Order: sequence, then C-alpha cells, then structure tokens
Amino acid sequence: MFNLIIRGLATGSIYSLTAVGIVLILSTTNVMNFAQGDTGMFLTYIAFFFIVRGLTPSLALPLVIVAAAILGYLVYKGLISRAKESSYMGMMIITLGLTMIFEGTVSTFFGNIPLLFPPLVPGDPVRFGSVILDRQDILCLVTALVVFVILSFVLYRTKIGIAARSIADDEYAARVLGIPIDRVHSFIWATSFGLAGLAGIMTAPRLSLHPLFMVVVQLKAFTAAVLGGMNSVTGAIWGGLILGVMENLVAYYVPAIKESFSLFLIVAILLFLPNGLFGSREAGRS
Amino acid sequence: MLRVIDLTTGYGPVEVLHEVNLDFEDANIVTVLGANGAGKSTLIRTVSGILKPWKGSILFGDNEISHMDTSQIAKLGIAHVPEGRHIFPNLTVKENLLLGGYFRTDDENKETLDHVLELFPLLKERIGQKGGNLSGGEQQMLAIGRGLMAKPRLLLLDEPSLGLAPILVSEIFETVKRLAQHEKVQVLLVEQNARKALDISDIGYVMVLGRVVLSGTSDELSKNPEVRKLYLGGQNV
Repeated sequence: MFNLIIRGLATGSIYSLTAVGIVLILSTTNVMNFAQGDTGMFLTYIAFFFIVRGLTPSLALPLVIVAAAILGYLVYKGLISRAKESSYMGMMIITLGLTMIFEGTVSTFFGNIPLLFPPLVPGDPVRFGSVILDRQDILCLVTALVVFVILSFVLYRTKIGIAARSIADDEYAARVLGIPIDRVHSFIWATSFGLAGLAGIMTAPRLSLHPLFMVVVQLKAFTAAVLGGMNSVTGAIWGGLILGVMENLVAYYVPAIKESFSLFLIVAILLFLPNGLFGSREAGRS
Repeated sequence: MLRVIDLTTGYGPVEVLHEVNLDFEDANIVTVLGANGAGKSTLIRTVSGILKPWKGSILFGDNEISHMDTSQIAKLGIAHVPEGRHIFPNLTVKENLLLGGYFRTDDENKETLDHVLELFPLLKERIGQKGGNLSGGEQQMLAIGRGLMAKPRLLLLDEPSLGLAPILVSEIFETVKRLAQHEKVQVLLVEQNARKALDISDIGYVMVLGRVVLSGTSDELSKNPEVRKLYLGGQNV
C-alpha cells in the first residue's frame, strides 16, 4: 500500500510538472496550451538522437530543459505574440498546430515504432524498509520537489514572478502600471516549455519513446489542472500528485477502470467542484 | 508640463476625441469635467499610452510621448490610476505597491514604499493582506499609493470617487490635495463629481462629446453659469 502511494507520487510529480506548465500559460496568456505534452515528446526525441550518439543520459536532462525554454521563447515571440491581438481562439489553434508539427516531424525522422529510452540514472531499485523504488522514481520526486521550490521562489519573491501573477489577476491593470507584458509572457512561455521538456524526458524511460507517448500525460495533466482549479499553480501541483496516487491505487484495486479513471474524475470535478480544490474566483470584493 | 495638441483618437472605427488641446504648466491639480461618454477616460488612457493617438501629439516636458509604450511613459514619470481602481485582488497589499515601481530598483522601491506607507498608514496595517479583501475606500487608497510608487511627476487619476460613500469621497479628495501640495506631483484628475473636483483643483477643462468646450481657473469655472447649470446642480446664480 505504502509502496503504491510513493510510486503514485512519482508518477504524479510528472503530471504536476506538466499541469503547472499548462496553468502558468493559461492564467497569464489565456491560452490553453495543447502542445504542453508534445513539446516534451519532441525534445525527448531530440535528446534521444544525441544519446544514441554518445551523450550521457543524465546530462540530457539539463540540456533538454534549456532547449525547451528556448523553444518556448521562440514559439511565443514568433507565433503567439503575433496572434495575441486577434483572438484567444487563434492562439489555442496555434498550440494544436504545434502538436501536429511535433508529431509529424518526429514520425518522419524516427518512425512510429516505439523506441527504448535509456534510464537517466542507471542502477538497481533502492529499498527503504518495505518500500522499493526505482532510481527513476526517486529522480522524479526529487526533481519535482526542487522545481516546485524554485518556482514558488520565482513566483512569490522575484519581480518578474510577481508581475506574472499580477497579469494573471488583471492584465489591464498591469499594462496601466507599465509592466512589460510581452517580456513577462516570454518568460512564462520559456518556463512552461522548460517544464514540458523536463516532464518529457522523465516520462520516456518509464514508458517507451513513441510520437504519441506524451498525449496520455497531457490528458492526465489536464485532469490534474482541473482538479487543482485551473488557475492555481499550487492547485496544479497538488492536483498532479493526488491524481498520481489515486490512479495507482485504482489500478491496483480496480484494474478494470484504470485507463478511464481520470476521465471520470474530470467529469465528477466539473459537476460537483467546478472551482477545483484550490481554484479561486476573484478574492473578496472588487 | 503636459501639452496635448490636436489629439484625435478612438476605439476601432469610432472617433472619440476630436482635436483635444490641453496645456498646463504650473497648476498643481487640473480637473477634466464632463458627463459620461465625454471622452475623459479616453483622454487619460491616451496620455498614459494604453491607447494610441490617431492624430496630434502629446508632449511631456520636452519628450514627445504619443508613440511610446506604457512602460516608457511610466519611466518618464507619468503614473496612471485607472478608473475602477483595478488593484490586484489576489496579490498582497505590499506586492500591489511594489508593482507600481516595477521599473525602479529594489532600493528605490524600498525607500518609496516606506514613504507611501507613511502617507497611507491604513495600508501599513494591511500590508500582508490580499488586495481583494480591502474595502472600496482602502482599495482606492491602494490604487493611488501604487501610482505613487513610480515616483511620478504627473499622476493621472481616473474617477477616484467612483462607487465610494460620500464620506470616503471627501477623504480621497483631501488626500489628493495633500499629495499635490507636499509631494511635488502634478495631478490630472478626471471626475464626474464636479463640485468636489473644482474645490481642490487650480484649473479645469470641460469636455463635451470628445471636445474641450471650456477651460479656465477653477474659480472661473465654478462661477460660469453654464458649468453651474450643467455640472454643479443648477442652483441660481
């Protein structure tokens, strides 16, 4: 039981990482980023390309994050910021287009056959008393923890982070104050894509590399974001972790509904708890 | 300090301001009066760079600011306190204030923050609370305080009395008057509450349907029969 929970947390931390990326972009730029999962997939394939040619797998991790952040910046500057004036729908369709570009590019160059991605940290599972954990799971948990600490520092203690939260609150007011909205948006897209890359490369060794391997994660992350209230980063983190654990328990005790569980959950949350666990409408009066 | 020359602008295809001219050098508080839809807020939004002019120019000191973006204009010393307050409800009072000085250094902000909290001791008590939990009057104080965090030379105040109880309105106006006298900041005030606005201001402009139809010192305007009839409740002269 305890083992199931810890392993669920490890899976959940990947959902959290992806969900946080989705929520960051949604709350500041008002775009539902459908490409969050596939961005990770795309960059993981690129990392795979170099690993096959001799790059150390553990080194791929930081490189993917940086490459993903640059990609996020370019996507924002080159596509999103140009579509911003016209409509929210346009930006959303761009992210859908990105998933097609990423999936198409990858299946053209690597084919559709599942590939085996090497573990980032090789070695036997580790025992903690009755709990047995893959090194990969430990890496997920530790990385997620580090990322969340850094992220909350950035969002609550740095100027650009506070500015990002202010834009999520009231973009017009932020503009009135002369906050450089475009710069903050670029920063958020770079950060979110960085998280996407991280989630991709942490998922790949647990599943196998395939052009659609992050689609499931994207769906789970979306569930996690809904569970967390859609506009709250804290909510997305907890939503991901809770979902990971619940899913693992369900898979063990009621294997029949393992796959459909998260879909049931979305429907249930939207029906009975539309603000999620941590979501807020505007606090108080206005 | 601010000169607006033949300013024409609007939203989409609709022209709202038609060749508006303002020019004030020494006045501490300048009021723009006008009914709903006269273009007062549009004027303020264009000065602070949220709206781009179609024609005409805006000079602040020696700088032509009509084609700068909001960040550049804010850096030059124009702070905009928007209509409806627009404080950040989920951010703390302190975060709200610090964002007002976004482009200034941390040291500068720390100093200005202390000063602003001295001016608004009420905000000091509430420094860690979320902006959304403040009352309407407190939120207006916060919005003004946030504007002052930019150390502006010109403060644009859009309808500060909107939606506030009369006693709070007087308090806000007192505050504005005090600021203009002691803080070396010029105030461009847009108000529907004409009487109170004229009471504290030095000069005023009257706008009707996107045009400035009348201007003068506040005393002149208060005595003008047209103004009395239309904006000051129509008592007999």
